Parts: sequence; structure tokens; C-alpha cells
Amino acid sequence: MKSMKRLCIVISILLTITMFLTGCWNRRELNTISVVLAMGIDWVDGQYQLSVQVSDPSQMSTNRSVSQRSPAIVFSERAPSIFEALRKITTKASRRMYLSHMRLVVISEKIAERGIRSPLDFLFRDHEVRPDFYMAIAKDCDAKDILSFVTPMEVLPALDLYKSLKVSETAWAPTAAVNVVDMMQWVTKDGIEPVLTGITLIGNRDKGKKMDNVNQPASMAEYKYTGIGVLLDDRIVGWLNESDSKGYSYITGKVHSTVGHIPCPGSPKDYFVAEVYKSQVKIKPFIRNGKPIIRVEMKNEDNVGEYHCQGDLGDEKFFNQLQQAARQQQKQLLQRSISHVQQKYGADIFGFGEAFHQKYPRQWRTWKKNWPEIFKNDLKVEIVVTSKINRTGKLMNPIHKEP
Amino acid sequence: MKEDGFSPMLHANIERMKLLMGYSSDFIVRELILPGNKKTVIFYLDGMVDKKELQDSVISALLDRTPVEPITLQELKDHVLDAGDVCIIHTVEAALEQIFSGSLFIMQDGIVDGLSVALPGWNDRAITESKTQSVVRGPQDSFTETLRTNTTLVRRRVKDTRIRLISLKVGKMTKTDVAIMYMDGLADEKQLQKLISRLRACQQDRVLEGEYLEEILHEKKQSTIFPTIYNTDRPDTIAAGIMEGKVALFVDGTPFVMLTPALFVDFIQSAEDYYQRPIYSNLIRILRYVALMICLLAPSVYIALTTFHQDMLPTQLLLSLAAQREGVPLPAFIEAFLMEVTFEILREAGIRMPRTIGQAVSIVGTIVIGQAAVEASIVSAAMVIIVSITAISSFVIPSYAMSFPIRIIRFLFMALSASFGVYGLTIGIIVLVVHLCHLHSFGIAYMSPSAPFNASDQNDAIFRNPFWKSTQGQTKQGKSS
Repeated sequence: MKSMKRLCIVISILLTITMFLTGCWNRRELNTISVVLAMGIDWVDGQYQLSVQVSDPSQMSTNRSVSQRSPAIVFSERAPSIFEALRKITTKASRRMYLSHMRLVVISEKIAERGIRSPLDFLFRDHEVRPDFYMAIAKDCDAKDILSFVTPMEVLPALDLYKSLKVSETAWAPTAAVNVVDMMQWVTKDGIEPVLTGITLIGNRDKGKKMDNVNQPASMAEYKYTGIGVLLDDRIVGWLNESDSKGYSYITGKVHSTVGHIPCPGSPKDYFVAEVYKSQVKIKPFIRNGKPIIRVEMKNEDNVGEYHCQGDLGDEKFFNQLQQAARQQQKQLLQRSISHVQQKYGADIFGFGEAFHQKYPRQWRTWKKNWPEIFKNDLKVEIVVTSKINRTGKLMNPIHKEP
Repeated sequence: MKEDGFSPMLHANIERMKLLMGYSSDFIVRELILPGNKKTVIFYLDGMVDKKELQDSVISALLDRTPVEPITLQELKDHVLDAGDVCIIHTVEAALEQIFSGSLFIMQDGIVDGLSVALPGWNDRAITESKTQSVVRGPQDSFTETLRTNTTLVRRRVKDTRIRLISLKVGKMTKTDVAIMYMDGLADEKQLQKLISRLRACQQDRVLEGEYLEEILHEKKQSTIFPTIYNTDRPDTIAAGIMEGKVALFVDGTPFVMLTPALFVDFIQSAEDYYQRPIYSNLIRILRYVALMICLLAPSVYIALTTFHQDMLPTQLLLSLAAQREGVPLPAFIEAFLMEVTFEILREAGIRMPRTIGQAVSIVGTIVIGQAAVEASIVSAAMVIIVSITAISSFVIPSYAMSFPIRIIRFLFMALSASFGVYGLTIGIIVLVVHLCHLHSFGIAYMSPSAPFNASDQNDAIFRNPFWKSTQGQTKQGKSS
């Protein structure tokens, strides 16, 4: 009985302690919350226009017949701040917005031009927001348009957008899946500037917002991730084209796999396609004569994905030439990408400054203040590419009639 | 008065015995005139003695004796009676006891003592397969209601002179035979004496099953819902326990034999673990621990995650759960509670009801719980899955005695996670572990050999080593705290 008494006391003490931990006191049933999957932030008439896309659970369940109701619901509201707008949405919706499962935040270009730091403060700060969502900039359209758009593959547009960004980053490369942790680091660190991938709508936008959009095999309107937006501090200064975006992905080590065509050695009209399946990049900062020099060493492993050259793939000499061509091409890609960014934007999105910061902390202190200038004018870049072509797929030479 | 001896007058003795037995109709008094005109009487209870043996080896032997000169009781016992267990009885008390345990009681005129002849002849249940702990490979016999059969089943397995058997009678009315079996030198002598003295001190009227004694054997100081005495109907488990230095307690009239001390791991182990190759039984044991965890935690984790920590679920899973909960009017805790209670009702019904209507109950049960409740949106489909997996897991625990506390604690945990989320659940688990580590069974820590940790006893703690690697028989003993 004594031990029982003690046990009772221990339990009651522990239970009493929990009373003071009111932070955990947030019980809510699943059917009292709306799961926000995507958020869009626009700038309209001097106010933030916040749009959220939530799922309609009754449309997600499998045992209900498919009705005419949309599986996703978009609410939007205007207020001087994001948080206010979010709470104001409850005047239009029956459930509390639940932000932990937000997958994507779309920011309109207008806001990106004004600076993304202040609108994102709420998302960095709020305890409920999990820092694993992706961010993108709505290019040539409103963030709300992208959220209220009907996508063909997934029932929920937010998940479609999220997955597409994830897959395209790993399999195609010229997009940047930027999550909020990256963004926080980029904005706070010196010597590295943020990037954000762009998203746009193509086709008939108004029809794209109706369920009809997916009632035929080819959608009337589609979304598309396009290129990488360069930000200086927290303001967008311009967009990289596709090949520069790819160069960016290579240099920042984000390429898991990509493909690219390369002119044939000897006959520049023909080309072959290399599939990069492994890419390693080392960034080595040097100081020569007081000038910063960056050495980018890239080691790629490629396969031949398509082949349209005249030469014999089985010939070792020719094969080496192919390899050489691939290196040349990749080197050019990187070079162009870096010089474009240097000359056009002067925003160190590659994080070269950060590399100097780590290796030459003392020198960095003197450069820190005018690093964008130094990056733009003084920084020399050396590029060493060691690509290897390993396999040629199931074929050696293209299939053709015997001569 | 009962302590008295008999009177030399035979008819007085007969009258007295009849009176003591209240002239019961099954109390038979058979009077004989032996050769030599010696009046003799046989008392017995109808149905308790073997009629054929009575006829052949007692009555015939007494009547067909050729030398007619009168003989003494000793001579009668030594030369005449054709039965194995014969002894001379001096008091009425002892005579009645013998009669109640299936003996004849023989008296002759003019002699103040009597002879008891043990000829128990009631009907036994045959040795059948174990109903509560069946195995695929391994011995299929199980204990019966008869004490002697049970002790024999164990003795037959362990042919060692160190086996000791102590018999007692417990229960003022039932006078139940109780036998304590242990291995001399292996069992803890102090604990054994404690056990015996507690049994001797037992003042209960009746002992119809082992549980009557289990309750007085429990440590008075510690109150717990966990069983600290193991019981089984498998003779091989008892034999193994005795060889590990445990003490077995047989109670007449029940096919369940108790084993002390009992550790937590004993309730999670099955006899079959030793009859399959170690790799198989170890994998099965892992599975069993997983099932134990599911049985204990599944509903409470589900409640905590869906009502407090939605952010811990993958997005797709959350959306699917939310879709299922759509239209369910009850909070997740009430939903889980209702389903669990429904299942416990079904389970209890399944045990109690006549076998023939089992089919009907199970059909109604599955249709009511599985189909209708989900279709009527009273519970969500996910909850049915959780409750079903919990229910099935609870059957994996090999010992029925352990499944009770686990089921009770499951409800407590559900309440904790419904009010405090994972935090409450964590506190609950901590309290549970502290409680378990605090327990001991007959001087041995309940959670040993894990807590306190004993490296040399790990042979058969969670995983079983192959027999050639472990010194079976030395395990699990000598760990007194």
C-alpha cells in the first residue's frame, strides 16, 4: 500500500507539472483544422494579399463518390501583415488554418522586388510552421493564380507543384528547390546571396482555374518552373536563363542527374547527349597578388544518352575526343554562368565569398563590406572539369544499315 | 470430539460415523461377517472408490480367508489386504480425512483402531493438449485436475534425486491437497520456507483454484497489477522452471500449476522458444516484443499524433487520416475508447459463450465493428485498423495473465495521451518502467536480468543463446536483490 501511495503521489505531481506546460496544450481534432498545403503572397493596393490552399478532406476520402466540389479550396484575404491576413481568413472559413504541413510558398514578383525579408518573418517565427517547405517566385502572374490553378496529375495542386519542383531539381537541374532553412542562411550570411526558382503559368489562365482544365488529356493551361531568380540581399535583381541556371546547380553541387547535348568533335552541326549521373564540385579560394581567385573543380561521371556523331564509338581515340568535348562544353557552361552573374547582377549566389570567409577570415573582414563590388569586378574564376564518359547504354554505334 | 479415538463397540462407531456424515446418501456402510464370526464394517463414499478393486482385493480377500482364527489389524494389513496403500488409523478425524480422499475405512468389532485402504476410483479427465499455451513443435500434454497426475508429469521429465515434493492440505472446508515441488540446492531456501509458512498460515475456507493461494502468496507490501506468480498448464514449462531453481506449487483440482519467482520476461517467453532453432525463436521474440508495444501503445500513439502532433505525420498520411475522420462526430479519444471497449466485450463474450454460437458472435462482431461503424461514419476506418492490430497483438502475448495488465494500462495511456499528447504518454511510460523496476517476485527483481543488469544471465533474457553456448539450469537464479 505504501508503494501504491507513493506511486499515486508521483503520478499526481507529474500531472500537476504538465499544467504549467501550457505550450503543449493545443489539442485539436483532425476535423477542426484545415491543412494548409500552399501559401501565396501578393502585393495588392499597398497590402499583403495572402492566399492559402487547403485540402477539402471530404473530397479526399475514397469511399465518397466524386462530386463536383473541388478537392482544394483557396482562401485569400488582405491585411497589412501576413499574420493578420491569416487570422482574418477565419472570417471566411470554418476551420483554423494549420500551417505545419505547408509544402510551398509562392511569392509574387512584386514582393520579391520589394524584399522578401519582412513578409517571411512570420514564417520564420511562427512555431507551427515547419521549416521544410519550398519557396518559389510567381513570374508574370499572381501567386493567387498559381494556387487556384487545377493541376492534372495530383488531386491537390499544392502537392503537384511540390513534387514537380523536387523531381525537376533532381532529374533536370535548372530549377532550385529552395527551402526556408536555406533561405534563412542565405539571408543572414555574408558572402552568399539567395536564389529562388521561378514559376509561371502558360496557356489559358482563366480556363486553367476550372475543373475543365483536366477533363482532357492535354491541359488548357499548365504551370512551369522557369529558371532561377537572383536575389541581392532579399530583393530580386534578375533571372538566369536555362543554361545559366544549370551552371548554378552544378556549382552549388545540387545536380543529382541531368542531361545536356554536346557538339560532336569535328562536326559541330551534329551532337550527342551526355547524361550526367554523378557530379562533384569543389570550390577552392586562393589569393594571388591580393586578388581573390576561385578555382572550381568539377568531376562528372557521364553516360552517352543519345548519339548522332559520325565517329566510331568503339574507337578509343575518338572516344577520348568525345570526353574532351564534354569537358569543354561543361566548362563553358560554368564559365558563362559565372560571368553572366558577375557582370549582370553582381550577386554572389554561388557562395564564393563564404568560401573566402572560411579560408581567409582575416582577409575577408576587409572585403566583407564591398564584396558585391569585388565579386563583380575583381574576382577571377578558374574552372577545371574532369568529366568521364563511362557507358554508352545498350548500343555502341547508332543502328543503321550495313554499308 | 472428533479428535477422539474410537470406542471398542463397533455399532457405536457405526452410529457415530453416520451421525458425523449426517446420514448422507452416498456414505456407504458395508457390514460383513468374516470367517470366525468376526463383525467387520467398511466405510466409504460412493463414487470416490474403485468398486471393482473394492470387490476383488478387499471384500473377497477378507471373506475368502481360509484360516479362521482371529488375527490382528497388523496381520490383516500385512497378509490379507491386496491393496498398495494401507495404514492404521487411530482417530475419527483421520478416518474421515481418508474417506474424503477416496479411501475405504475398515473397522472390526472390539478393536479401537481402523484400517484405511486407499482405493481412489473417481473419474479423471484424460491428459489432453494444452488449451491455453499451445505449441506447434514440442510436447502436447498438459496438466489435469488431479494433483498426483500433475506431479507425475513433471517427475517423469526430470529424473533427479534432488527433486523434493512437500505436501500440505489447505482450506478448512476443502482440505485441498497442495504440493510444493523444487530442486534441492537450487531453490532459494529462505523463500521456500516463507512460501510454506504462508501456506500453513492460510485460514481460508476454500481453495478451489490456484488463484485462492496466489493472492495470499503475493507480497503484501507491493501492490501491482502485474502478475508476480507464473501459472501454466504445460508440464515442460514447470519442469524447466524447477531446473532453474524455481518453486512449483501444485493445487489439487486445477490444471494450472504456479511457478515462483516469476519475472517479466517469463510472461513474454513461450515454451516453443526452446523447441525451435535459436534464430527462429529470437526473431519470433522480437516480433512478440513489437506486438507487446503495439498492444500497449498503438491507440494512445494514434490519439496523441492525430489530436496534438499532426505535424509529426507525413503530409499524405495526414490528409488521408483527415479524410477518414471527416464526418466522424466523436473526438478521437472517445472513438478509440468506444472501439476498445467494444472489442473487450466481444473478447469476453467469445470466452464465456457456448462454443456453438461462437460463429454468430464473431460475424456480428466483425460486421458491426468493421463495416457498419465505418459506413455510418461513427468511427473512422483508420481507428478500426488501429483497434484490430491492437487486438491481434494482444493475443501474441503468450501468457494470459500478462495480457490483463497490458490491456488495463493501454486504457490509462489512452487517457494520458488524450489529455497531454506525447508528453503525457512519455510520462506514463516512465512511470510504468519505474513501477516495473520497483517490483520483485519472491526476492528477485521483476525486470531482471535487464534491471538490474546481469551480463551473465543474458543467455535467455531477451534472446536465447543456442543450448551449447548457454549453461541451462544455472540461469535466472541466485539473483536475489
